[in-house]
Amino acid sequence: MGDQKRTVSIHVPVLARVEGEGALDLRIEDGDITELRLRIFEPPRFFEKFLEGRHYTEIPDMVARICGICPVAYQVTAAQALEKLFGVELDPWARAMRRVFYCGEWIQSHSLHIHLLAAPDFFGCNSAIELAKIAPDEVRRGLRIQALGNELMELFGARSVHPVGVRIGGFHGAPPLARIREIREKLRAALPEAEALIRWTASIHVPQDDQAFVSVAMRHAHDYAIEAGAIAASDGLFIEPEDYDEHFAEQQQAHSTALFSSYRGQPYLVGPLARINLNHERLPARVKALLDETGLVLPSRNLFHSLVARAVEVLLALHEALRLLDAYRVPDSPAVPVSPRAGVATSCTEAPRGLLWHRYEMDDDGRVVNARIVPPTSQNQARIEEDLRLSLLNFGLDHADDALRLHCEKVIRNYDPCISCATHFLRMKVERG
Amino acid sequence: MNRVRILGIGSPSGDDQAGWLTVDALLAGGVKAGDELVIEKLDRPGAGLIPLLDNASWIILVDAMQSGGQPGWIQRYGVNDWPAYCQGLSSHGFGVLNALSLARELGSLPPRMDLYGIEIGGAMPGGNPCTEVRAATRKLADIIADELRFILQARPAAAGSGGDGNATFHKTIIRK
Repeated sequence: MGDQKRTVSIHVPVLARVEGEGALDLRIEDGDITELRLRIFEPPRFFEKFLEGRHYTEIPDMVARICGICPVAYQVTAAQALEKLFGVELDPWARAMRRVFYCGEWIQSHSLHIHLLAAPDFFGCNSAIELAKIAPDEVRRGLRIQALGNELMELFGARSVHPVGVRIGGFHGAPPLARIREIREKLRAALPEAEALIRWTASIHVPQDDQAFVSVAMRHAHDYAIEAGAIAASDGLFIEPEDYDEHFAEQQQAHSTALFSSYRGQPYLVGPLARINLNHERLPARVKALLDETGLVLPSRNLFHSLVARAVEVLLALHEALRLLDAYRVPDSPAVPVSPRAGVATSCTEAPRGLLWHRYEMDDDGRVVNARIVPPTSQNQARIEEDLRLSLLNFGLDHADDALRLHCEKVIRNYDPCISCATHFLRMKVERG
Repeated sequence: MNRVRILGIGSPSGDDQAGWLTVDALLAGGVKAGDELVIEKLDRPGAGLIPLLDNASWIILVDAMQSGGQPGWIQRYGVNDWPAYCQGLSSHGFGVLNALSLARELGSLPPRMDLYGIEIGGAMPGGNPCTEVRAATRKLADIIADELRFILQARPAAAGSGGDGNATFHKTIIRK
């Protein structure tokens, strides 16, 4: 392009049918971005207020309704917080099966995001339906892996959407050995498929980008952190969930009903790329070897590597589920007794989209006095805006409006399936100065 | 592969229960599931619909629709005349037609597929279905049951274990 500068105003007014309804405003004047706002305008859902006064036994099923894609994350985080407060020591069986349950969610959520949402972007397709014309085997494989994740969730939760299996103290029931044997075979059969998925995602050409950001994820002494661990950051932070508020802050922004989180006053990244940046050496040997084979250099500063990170975590989750189910036994009881007590409970886990933090103040009867839930989506909001700004500058502001919009969509889709939903509904109005 | 599957899609929201009510009406009318006939109620299955199409020779799918018509209006679509869909692809909203379109691209559609849409009015969470929609689900159940009898009587080996003139089967799955 020549020296002539243009003014571009891109408004994405409605991002519909999503858990987080949002819009994107972008204005470019004289070759500079003068306005860039990811507006989340979904009416507040008041989930934290709904929880007030509720008995602890109701909490797992209530918080599962927060998200149709990652209900296990909400259930497990809430359960762990309350169990910690109540001094409940889970049976090792329940602790292991919570991780298996969570693996199912990672498998289904990541597979859905890779195949139905993110991958079409990189093949010039508008949808998975178009992608299926040129990569039918890969899409079929993705659907099989996603279905297996759902099956694993159903095994412990009775259903994959808003499952009902978790209770404070363990689970409501334990699957019989015959069902475990059956799913073990399926998990084993899926390993080569997940390995092929990693190779495929690594072979997909993605934009080159290089951004400085702080990765935040849980970190565990031995395992790749999913449901257990402390909170770590790429600048060396290592804290317990109870200390979250000392380092992280949520702020309201006029243009969004989602709170914006910051770490030491700056945006930060949560999610698969943050996790793999911080915890790649915790991957099982076979997964690590395959990751090394892809040539991906970690820590990565290119958010488009989130695609590979998700594929790596699919294989990790399959390995973990298999490892834990190989030692499966039917427990004497799927749950231990619980006696509530008053106090403050905090916990966090790694939802598919990133760190999920819960805090509950409980009364003597085991009822919620107040609750606070910090989901990964709000933690990534500021980072998404920062990423959009940086990656657009790297991409080049002189591209046509459609190309700019598509690039913005790609960037947003990298972060979160809920936001990814939204970006399939971009209605753009362009004004030129 | 010799299986007929009836999939009633819905949610617990007012008229959106149309697919479920049709399944209920079928069962109340004596249609029973078994090896040859699988009957399922689905709650917004998303891409999970696609594996349910595998190894079936005939799929009958019933869902609510909003096309601007009168509540209770029943429309049948074949494989090649699905209605236009005004909403796009998303993880939370990967709808029935998205899933069927993807299945078509993947060559996963059964040899015969009948998609029934029942026009609905309100779909308020926790609401009851309106009279017109209730009546339509009973009417559609009769239509489907008649067709099942006709087809399955013409194919005796597929008619299950019963001999009372009804399509007789054994099992109903309710999946959410």
